[in-house]
Amino acid sequence: MRRRSVLTSGLTLGAGLALGGIGKLRADTATSGKLAIWLGYGETAPTYQLAMPAFKQLYPNVQVELLTFDLREFEAKLAVAVPTGTGPDLLALHDFLFPRYYESGSLDAVPSDLAAVAGDAKVFDPTFTTLVTRDGKPWGVPWWTGRSALFYNLDQFKEAGLSGPPQTIAQLWEYSEKLARRGADGNLTRAGISLRLTEPSGGIQKFGYFYYQMTGQQIFEPGKQPGMVRVTLKDNLDIATQALLDHVEHLHGPKKVDDWALKHDAQGFANGAAAMFFREAWVIPFVRKNGPDIHMGVAPMPRDKAWGAFNLVEILSVNKDSPLKKAAWDLIRLLQEQKYLDNLLETSGWIPLRKDRDFSGFLAKNPEYRALMEEPAGYKQYVEAPDTAYQEVTARTGEVILAAYRDASLLGNRDAARKVILKAHDTAVPILKDAGIYEA
Amino acid sequence: MSIASGQVLSPPTSARRGRLATSLARLRRQHILFVLATLGPILLLFGVIRVYPILETIRLSFYNYHITQLRRPFIGLENYARLLDDDSFLTALLNTAQFSALSVVITLTLALAVAILLRSIERAAPGFELLFYIPVVTPWVPAAVIWKWIYDPMYGVLNLGLSLFGVPRLGWLQEPNLIVYAIVLVSVWKLLGYFVVIYGVGLRGVPEELLEAAELDGATAWQRLVHVVLPLMRPIILFSVVICTIVCFNVFAPVYVLTASAQGAPAYDFKVLVGEIYQNGFVFYHMGYAGAECVVLLLCVLSLIAVQLLAFRER
Repeated sequence: MRRRSVLTSGLTLGAGLALGGIGKLRADTATSGKLAIWLGYGETAPTYQLAMPAFKQLYPNVQVELLTFDLREFEAKLAVAVPTGTGPDLLALHDFLFPRYYESGSLDAVPSDLAAVAGDAKVFDPTFTTLVTRDGKPWGVPWWTGRSALFYNLDQFKEAGLSGPPQTIAQLWEYSEKLARRGADGNLTRAGISLRLTEPSGGIQKFGYFYYQMTGQQIFEPGKQPGMVRVTLKDNLDIATQALLDHVEHLHGPKKVDDWALKHDAQGFANGAAAMFFREAWVIPFVRKNGPDIHMGVAPMPRDKAWGAFNLVEILSVNKDSPLKKAAWDLIRLLQEQKYLDNLLETSGWIPLRKDRDFSGFLAKNPEYRALMEEPAGYKQYVEAPDTAYQEVTARTGEVILAAYRDASLLGNRDAARKVILKAHDTAVPILKDAGIYEA
Repeated sequence: MSIASGQVLSPPTSARRGRLATSLARLRRQHILFVLATLGPILLLFGVIRVYPILETIRLSFYNYHITQLRRPFIGLENYARLLDDDSFLTALLNTAQFSALSVVITLTLALAVAILLRSIERAAPGFELLFYIPVVTPWVPAAVIWKWIYDPMYGVLNLGLSLFGVPRLGWLQEPNLIVYAIVLVSVWKLLGYFVVIYGVGLRGVPEELLEAAELDGATAWQRLVHVVLPLMRPIILFSVVICTIVCFNVFAPVYVLTASAQGAPAYDFKVLVGEIYQNGFVFYHMGYAGAECVVLLLCVLSLIAVQLLAFRER
């Protein structure tokens, strides 16, 4: 009797599991349920909300849950939820997170029509297509970029007798010296250029902006093997040392143009406490809102040996475990339409990556964006190397560089600066080795 | 006969004993059941919420456990060995020790001084205790945000006040040499009220007649404090030192908020142990390595408490 009941239970359970499996298979194309979207860049939420009425017409029985988080919190939640099958249906991934979810097999293959779009050089710059492609197939659709540019204060430039933005890195330092202002006590009251002096990941990224123009390479370059990363600091040791010395020279001593005690970044720029700084497109709406009196100019990155802009790319993918894959892909299709891309640009300031859309009307009204959206000949767009250890390697290497910025004894001390660069290199290598992505 | 009568009498006695034993056993069983029913859920909850995570953390510390990687091999003591070469961890350990030492000493000394002063204005003391207690109930994050503005080098009220005395602009949260003192000050402000109340309770427990007797014997106020009050308050002081040490060694929220950079990203300009654990565990996802750091933190706190217990032992 007992045995029979066990058998019956087993059969029932088996049947249940089988039906559940079939149910799951069918559920991939489900037209009802809750579609979860989590965002680390909350400023893009209005665009999703704008697309909701059109999405609701396609899927009246699908409820959309749109949650926004602080960026780091978003990354942590995603890292825990996706592997355990509790993640969102639509994955809005920054380019450095994308490899992690591709490699853990969490991404759904892009439907053929969208795959054709993602692979079309007329639609997307090949740099961005490469970013989402693995084994010849795209696993997401590039959506927007946070492209770097030089932001400068037109009034302060005029006051310093400067007629336009610096064209080269050497000019950038020279202008920054002219633009810096000191108070009666000798302390800086305005930064000639607001450098990234805190938050190591951001610090190494901004140091990397100089490094790229000076070397034509990023500090972390894609390896020859897919998914592998090379550290280039030793290859460019002399130039990297010079870039560090330039920073130290402008943070200590008579040529000082920035100070830790000043307000920094977009906040400092919007307050008039910085004459220039490097940042991405979102700064434009930020400064308009927080520094309405600031007359802002935006220019392409100054050049040196190379000339290019860094791109932080947001990629739209679908969770392989989602029961609403088709609905999620349809929402991604909607988000490619002109109306929503216009809204994305206007509300968040992030730049849509579709080359086949027309933003001329927007640019006529918002000329500051030209430097970010128009690409002069020879101006290269580059992205981070796909790096599953991105946060750790940038944070730990950045700590070495930011600590060196504080060290006034490095002033003019090439040997000591060289040792710092070697230390940064030696900090990065074991982290990449541990993650299994280091290429010598 | 006597044997016979004894035989006749004995069964009722043993039966009574047996019944008594049965009743006692039943009572004991009911008592145990009652204790289990009342304390069981709490113990179960304690086990699940407190004991299990600690044991699991200790277990994880022997694994190379990364949240997003399926392979999580056992690596023995490798995580602990790596800690010895990890500059960030060693800096955090040193910073935490420095911060805790300063915070514990300043907070508890000030709290004792304030509590003693309040004893001299007994009627107004509760009102002052309430005022000192307000920061204790203020959540860490908004409190730290307010302090961040106070410390702001350009617009902060602290630099403004100091400038009136000719002190030049100081980057309280930007200068590596100043940041520890800035965070200690916030911590003392936050914790002081709690220990003022605790010491106040302890001081009220000191018998008046002992103080009067000492005064009659010619003891000065300082002698009465050192030879009468402090020895009687030994358990209260021990409790305060232990609690304050635990709280300070676990510092994270104020450091995280105070050192956040302009864009709100954690700057980690002042590394502390819990910050390192957070970063390794929840930013880099090295759960095994973060587990090893947790175990070291646990051992540090336990060792300090053991030393404090020995130092305050009744001789």
